[in-house]
Amino acid sequence: MRTRAAVSAVLASGGILIAGWQSGVHIADTSSSVASGAAGTTGATGAKALGTDGSSGTGTTGAAGTTGASAKAVGTYAGPVVQTRFGSVQVQISVRAGKITDVTALQLTDAERKSVQISNRAAPLLRDEVLQAQSADVQTISGATVTSDAYLNSLQAALDAANL
Amino acid sequence: MNTQLLTSRPEVRRRSGGAVNPFRGQHRRRLLRADLLTVLFWASLAGAVALWLADGGMAGFATVAGSFTGLGIVAGLAGMDLVLLMLLLAARIPLIDHTVGHDRALEFHRKLGKPALYLLLAHGILIAIGYGMAEGLDPVSEAVALWVLVPDMWLAYISMLLFIAVVVTSLVAVRRRFPYEFWYAVHLLTYAAVLTALPHQFSVGGLFAEGTWQRWYWLALCIATGAALLYYRVAQPLVATFRHQLTVKRVVRVAPGVVSVEMSGLGLDQLAGSGGRFFIWRFLAPGLWWHPHPFSLSADPVSFDAAGQGTLRITVRNLGGGSAQLASLKPGTRVALEGPYGLFSTAARSRNHVVMVGAGIGITPIRALLESTPFQPGNATVILRGHSESELYLGEEILALCQQRGATLFHLTGSRPAGVRTWLPESSARAGHRLASFDPNVSDADVYVCGPAAWAQSVLQDARAAGVREDQLHYERFDW
Repeated sequence: MRTRAAVSAVLASGGILIAGWQSGVHIADTSSSVASGAAGTTGATGAKALGTDGSSGTGTTGAAGTTGASAKAVGTYAGPVVQTRFGSVQVQISVRAGKITDVTALQLTDAERKSVQISNRAAPLLRDEVLQAQSADVQTISGATVTSDAYLNSLQAALDAANL
Repeated sequence: MNTQLLTSRPEVRRRSGGAVNPFRGQHRRRLLRADLLTVLFWASLAGAVALWLADGGMAGFATVAGSFTGLGIVAGLAGMDLVLLMLLLAARIPLIDHTVGHDRALEFHRKLGKPALYLLLAHGILIAIGYGMAEGLDPVSEAVALWVLVPDMWLAYISMLLFIAVVVTSLVAVRRRFPYEFWYAVHLLTYAAVLTALPHQFSVGGLFAEGTWQRWYWLALCIATGAALLYYRVAQPLVATFRHQLTVKRVVRVAPGVVSVEMSGLGLDQLAGSGGRFFIWRFLAPGLWWHPHPFSLSADPVSFDAAGQGTLRITVRNLGGGSAQLASLKPGTRVALEGPYGLFSTAARSRNHVVMVGAGIGITPIRALLESTPFQPGNATVILRGHSESELYLGEEILALCQQRGATLFHLTGSRPAGVRTWLPESSARAGHRLASFDPNVSDADVYVCGPAAWAQSVLQDARAAGVREDQLHYERFDW
């Protein structure tokens, strides 16, 4: 009887683990393809910015990539990639006539599902605050301290690059 | 079959073969349940990890830092799962109690304590390393940063400390140094430990994040554990206490330091057949009410009228602490009860033949079992062990029961031989007697053993040597 229990337990646990792993492989693939898709669009707007990854202080090379013919005096500046324990954060600003007109998060903390949730909540709030304050001197979002700090660091470097 | 009272003289008896075994069905079902519980146990651990994998957990293993974090998460998930399973084991769930017995469930609960703690420690250390590597920090700075920066993490640190305290005070060497009450109080902190661990699982770990399978698994497991604890450890005892309305009827001195407490109450017919099983008693008298006493019934509940009114009885030896005060219980004292628990009953029977071995105060549940468990005359052997005849508590009642029901009775008295591990008295051991000498059919019998732990182990060893299989052995542990 002990053997019956042991064999069934091994088979059941093994089956459950394999089933979990199999469905997880699928999700891991899609999430990485989403990530690479995001990276692709980043590349279109500011290809150079990606090259400056890591050198955190020197966001100055953030590319002034003009996004299209429509936006004449529009400059976009990407901040450096800031690493956090929950994933990477990178922010890009759009500037017109010395004012920040838009803030886009090129990368946000996405290490775990919960981080994605936090990012999705925090990013719009931070964007609004920054647009209102016209600087990186805004409050961090409670419950998203790590993401906020990284966001504002990347933003500050982008602002420096834009000489704002 | 005539009843004999022999003093350690082996007796040869013919086997009453050919009888159908009425316990085969219940035995097969019990073994099936035991195997099912084993499978559920492992499947639950595998499930905790598998659901994390299913929600994309493998993606993190692309980097070294991610691998540390991933392993840390797996350790945390398995640790949390183990803690919840431990709580379920201690929740006195009837399915578990009827399958392995409450004492065996607690034994397993104890064995899981250290593995659970190691997993939780590994969880903390591996995550600190993994997160630290992702940020370029050493694990210690990372641990500090987590404490300061990440919401709810300080609670997780407190939880870790509480878990360490609970497990350390439960180590045998440590537990012996402190009174039972101290251990019990610290053990209650387990609930605080689980509750303080939950917030960071919500906010940082995302175990309950919407849109994941894990959410449903963990919600179900946490709610089921909480509900089982509340229902079986709080609600059921209250219901039983109000239903049975037990009061102390009288306290009878059985032998020096040993008293029988007789209680009368209502609805006791519902407890019929629980002779030998134990209840947790609280005598609601000043200075006594908070002290839970686990004692077996020493007699099946008797003499019901139409309302089920009757009496039941426990027999208790003064083992220090609260049990000393039981001798001075006043008639009329109200009694709260939880139970019955344990498998020291007919529910554990698997064979026609039954051998019951009891020592000291462990004789009392044997008496109740002998009274209630079915057997054909000649199919039961009772062996009582004590230093002297006066220590064979309830010996006269047992002799009468043996005569009435056709069981063979042996009294084994005297001290053990020095330096030899045996459960027999010196004279008997020297004569080369073994368990099989007292009952030649022991290998095809259910063997019930109740007595001090070391002595009981010795009996069990003898039984195994005589060819008794593990599932035929039934013993009750007395130590907490």
